[in-house]
This record gives sequence, structure tokens and C-alpha cells, in this order.
Amino acid sequence: MQPLLPAPTRRAILTLGAAAVGLALATVATVLLESGPLGIRDASPIYIVPVVIVATRFGSRAAVATSLSAFLVYDFLFTTPRFSLAVADPNELLDLVLFLFIAVVVGRLSAIGLERANLAEVRARESLAQFAVSRLLATEELDQAIPASLARIAQDAGVTRAWVTVDAPASSRTLADTRPGQPTPGSGIVDVLVRAPGDEPARWIRAHSPSAGPRPEVGASRLQIRIDAEGETIGSLWAIRPGGPPGREPTRLLALLADQLGTAFHRETLRQAAMDAEISRRSDALKSSLVTSVSHDIRTPLAGIRAAAGGLMDPSAPLDREATVRAATEIDAAVTRLDRMVRRLLDLGRIEAGLLRPDLEAFDLRSIVETAVERLRPSLGDRPIEIDIDESLPPVRVDGLLFDEILGNLLENVARHASPPAACRIASTMRAEGGVDLVVEDGGPGVPESRLERLFTAFTKAEADRPDRGPGPGIGLAVVRGFATAMGIEVAVGRSRLGGLAVTLRLQTVDLPPAEAAA
Amino acid sequence: MKGPRLLLVEDDAPTRRMVAANLGAHAYAVTEAGDVLTALRAWDAERPDLVLLDLGLPDRDGSTIIRRIRREASTPILILSARVDEVEKVAALEAGADDYVTKPFGMDELRARVAALLRRASGPAADPAGRVIAGPVVIDVVRRAVTVSGLPVELTPREYELLKTLLSMPGRVLTKGRLLRAVWGDAYSDQGHYLHVYVSRLRRKLDAADPGARAGRLIAAEPGIGYRVRVPDEELDRA
Repeated sequence: MQPLLPAPTRRAILTLGAAAVGLALATVATVLLESGPLGIRDASPIYIVPVVIVATRFGSRAAVATSLSAFLVYDFLFTTPRFSLAVADPNELLDLVLFLFIAVVVGRLSAIGLERANLAEVRARESLAQFAVSRLLATEELDQAIPASLARIAQDAGVTRAWVTVDAPASSRTLADTRPGQPTPGSGIVDVLVRAPGDEPARWIRAHSPSAGPRPEVGASRLQIRIDAEGETIGSLWAIRPGGPPGREPTRLLALLADQLGTAFHRETLRQAAMDAEISRRSDALKSSLVTSVSHDIRTPLAGIRAAAGGLMDPSAPLDREATVRAATEIDAAVTRLDRMVRRLLDLGRIEAGLLRPDLEAFDLRSIVETAVERLRPSLGDRPIEIDIDESLPPVRVDGLLFDEILGNLLENVARHASPPAACRIASTMRAEGGVDLVVEDGGPGVPESRLERLFTAFTKAEADRPDRGPGPGIGLAVVRGFATAMGIEVAVGRSRLGGLAVTLRLQTVDLPPAEAAA
Repeated sequence: MKGPRLLLVEDDAPTRRMVAANLGAHAYAVTEAGDVLTALRAWDAERPDLVLLDLGLPDRDGSTIIRRIRREASTPILILSARVDEVEKVAALEAGADDYVTKPFGMDELRARVAALLRRASGPAADPAGRVIAGPVVIDVVRRAVTVSGLPVELTPREYELLKTLLSMPGRVLTKGRLLRAVWGDAYSDQGHYLHVYVSRLRRKLDAADPGARAGRLIAAEPGIGYRVRVPDEELDRA
């Protein structure tokens, strides 16, 4: 409901009423005290009471006015000659002047107490808002913290809508809005907060803006506060507030939010830079370890290729048909080995650089394992291969390509480190808490207990002292772990009851909706 | 008389020469091109039976060639892809390429793919009686019935559509997106899809009906890309 009178007028009437009632009561009390059986000669200090009450409720100016009124009323009613402002007795005159002095001082003191209390309350509200906003911006992700702090300040500053835009090269982009999806920017009048350096209070300056956001309802103002980070304007905080530009307190709250946002943006920029630096540091570390650790693995097949090609090229000793085919076969095998090596290194590079974006889909575990085994069967040689995966298992949630690479790496490790006729077994078990464990194990020599954990570190080899075995499991297992981690799959290594290495993958399953579950 | 005419588009000269020499030795007539402009000129002049295309060309994006050929003809296109990114292969396949081999490839593998694509191009997908035949698997399109080695197989409507889509283009790689659009329409976009689970189920049913348990292997998974149906003459047990 709209009040009949504006707030300041109502307040003045209230003050006047309170002072009048207080003075009237004090006058009645003085009459009773001075003429009654008590016969008190001078009851004028009674008038201090309404002065103090008015001071504590309505402030300093009201207190001084009430003191003056009390002085005049007492002078008029109680000093001789009565019903005149003249004072005959010099003693009475002194009392009266002293009363005025005391009333004004006491009134002022009481009023200062009130003002301090008010100010403290305002400051407390501001600090609370500031604390809430800082906390939000410091602990939450920016894309959640900005809308939350915006909503908080909008409420405290009495604005009906607030939104944040960041300046982009061509136009600006809205980051958050307390009323998302409402009309898009138009042009119009806007009140811009101009903040001078130092302690000078900020001022609202009316301006015309080409992109001031939605047109406010009649009587409401559109406010703009620039957001600065490191001395550069990076965006704006906008608000719509009914009844014109806000007073000191809401202005401070809005300015405070703009400052906090500036700091948060700056921090985010620094964080991003730090992350980029970390990625580049890691990839530098990767590159240097590549150089030292892989040169052997790459140079061996290269040497084979060179030797075979040299034999083919030599004009002085032409090869017979059989020797030519042998040289070509040699080259082909070496290239296959190099290709596998390079592929793993590229995979590892992608993992270390944090570039993997898995595309998780539902797969039938048995099918995906059978495909991988079929593909690698030639390199696994003549050995028993057991696939023990229940066909009725629910589908697993993996990235088809990455999971295929994982299985390929595990099977290649089996091929290289557990020579035939060592058995290979791939089996699944349901976990009680949901999900499926897939274990890939072999009957090879296995890996000593003490080296199991280090298996996953790139370039460590369980059989570092046996370089004839070619690339160790280090790179392959590092790729396995990297891919698995990217898909949210845990990997564990242990000893197989077949005698060799057992690698267990903890897979998540998918519940098929009834419509799709029909066989 | 020379055999089928191939257009080989590859910018790396040594690779191009060796591949052309090998294909030539196997009775193919090979035209070589090292960039997009030469390739398009050769395409206009010769109208080859099949195009081998490397996507990383010096002057322009190789996919320009795919789009141009697809506007004018259904000539099979085999992509020679450096192993960079699955996204690139999928994009080429969706633009109209038929299959891909990944570098470094073996010549026998390349020749097998070329032969498979040429066979696919020479014969219609369905015979006059409305039957699609792929090895032991026969789809009677008119009666919506499937048999493996003459024995009937019960398929759900989705599984039937999936099999029909796959067998309509043997030898060709079908991307996930293409299969989903063909079989599920727009219905799959809401939630995670179950394409791979359906394919596995389909392969199992085909295997169960086949005395040799080989029929399911007609459908080969191309991880990260989609599925490929091996053409009937292709050796089924080639891994």
C-alpha cells in the first residue's frame, strides 16, 4: 500500500508530536511538584527527560529544538513574573541559562549515541554482505559464485534486478542475471557511478548509454557500475532500482560487489595463467624424459630398417628373390614396432597435456573384449586365451576408442612379457556395491611385489636390465592408467593366480531403460 | 585391357610413388595427384572408378574433393588418414567418404579395402527379388525377414533396421551418427544412446543362428568411429 505522505514529512510530524507530548507531561509534573505538598522550589530539570527521549529517538537537531522549547515554556510559566518571558530574579535567570546549556549538551550527547548505533548497524550490514560475497567468490566456482553474490547484493541494496556483463572485443556478454531470459539490451538513460580516488564519496552521473540493458519501469533507474581489474575496465555491474539512484549505503554495497567481482576476475585470470604454465611445465618434463628414455626404443627398429634398406640398395651385391623378401619383411616388422611406439607416445602426450575428452557410451563388455582379442590374436601367438565374461552383464560405460586402446596395451604387454605358452585370461566379476571388475591376467613371470606400484610411471620398466625385450610395460601401463583415469575408471595391479601380472579395471555399469532392455 | 582406374591423391611424393607402383603392379590404372587442384582436374578428365584421398593436402582442405565428387557421382572414396584425430575421419566419412585406412598402412590391407569398395560399387545392394545378401546372412526386405544359412532369426524392429542399414552399404564404414539417425531418428538425442549394445546383441543373434558362428563377424567395430560390414567375398577371419 502507498503511504499518504512521503517518509521525511511523516518523520517530522512524528518528532513534533513526541516533543509536544513530552513537554506537556513535563509541565504537568513541574506544576504538581512546585505547588504540591512537596513544595520543591525549582523542578526545571524534569524538562531534561523529554529532551533526552527526543534526542535518543529523533537525533540531534530535534533535541536542540526541544531544549529551546523547554527553556521558553519554563521561562513563560514558572519564572517570576509569571506568564511573561521576562525574568526578575537574577538567580532564576542563572538557573534558566544553566538549564538551557545542560539540556542542549545532554540532548546532543544522547543524539550522538543514537547516530553511532545507527552507523554501527549500517556498517555491520555492509560487513556481513561483504563477508558473504567474498566467501562466495573465494570458495565457489566463478560461474556459480557470481549469480549467488549478485542475488545477495540485489536483495540488500534494494534493487529489483541486477546483472553482470563483461566487455568482449566486439560487444559485451552477460555473465549472470538475477532475472535471466528477460528482454535483451536496448539503449537509454543510465546512472553511472563515478568513483573518485581517495575517500571522496562516489556520485551517480546521468548519462546516455547505447547498451544499457532492458528499459526499466517508469520511476525506476538503471544503474551502471564499472568493474575494474588491475586498473582496467573489464565489464559492468548493472541494476534496476525503483525510486531513483540509491543513497549512500546501497551505493557502497553495489560498489563493493563491483570491486569484489573485479578481484575475482583478476584471480581467475591468474589461475588460468598458472594452469597454462603448469601444463607447459609438464609437457617440458615429458619431452626431456622422452629424449632420454625412448631413444633406445626408437633407434633399435630404425637401425633394423637402415640395415635392410642398405642391403636392398647395394648395387655391388644384388640380393636374390628370397633375401629381398626377407629384407622387406624386416623393414615391415620394424615399422610396425615403431608405429606402436609412436602411437603410445602420442597417447601419453595427450594424457599429460590434459587433452583427453572421453565420450562415455554404453557398451557390451564381452563384445568389446572379443574385438580387441581378435585384433591382437596374431601377436599373442599360440597360447590358451580364456574369455570369461557373462553375457547377461549390464552394459559398461566407457569411451569406445580409449577402452579399446587400454585392452590393446594390456594384451600387447601380455604378448611381450609372458611368452607362449603362458596362458592369458580375461574375466569379469560383478561388484557387490554395483559395477563390474574386469581383470586381464597372464601366466608369465610377472612383476616383483616391490615394483608393482612403480609400474604405472611412464618409462620405468620392470625389466630395465633386459633391454632385449623392447619397450617395457612402463609406457603401455602409463597409457592404460591415463586413459582409465580420464574415464573415471580405477586401475589396480597385483599378482595373478596364473603366476603373472593381473591388471584389474573397475568399470561402471549402465542400467538399460526397460524400453531398450528387451532382448 | 587395364583394370579399374584409380585416382591417388597424396602430397607425399615417395609414399605416392610406392603406392602407385604397387597398385599398378596389381593391374590397376593409377592417376596420381599431389594437390587439390590437380586432383579435381584429374577427376573431371578421367572419372576414375575409385578415389584414394589423403586429407592433409598443401593447397586446400581435402574435404573439398569429397564434397565435389559427392555432388557429381557415387564413386567410392577411400581416405588415407594420418593418425591424428578420430574427429577428422568421422568428418570425412560423414561428408561422404566410404572407408579409411590409417597411415602407416600395409599394401595388402590397402588393396583389400580397394577391392571391397569396387565390388560394392559394382553390384546393387538388393537383388531383383528384394533380398540383400551378405555371406550367410539374407534379408528379405519385402517380408522383413532375416535368415542365416537358411535358418530364420528373430530380430526386434530396431535390430532389423540396424542390420538393414549396415548391410545396405557393405564394405563401407558407417559412423555412429549415421547409424543413429537411420535407426533411431531424433529419438536418441535426449539421453545416452545404446547403439553399441544393440550391435553386440545383433552380432550374438546372428552368431547363434549360424552353424559356423561366423555371421556376427560380418559386422566389424571401428572403435571411436562406427561400424563396417565386411563384404561377402572378404575373408571373414581376417583380423
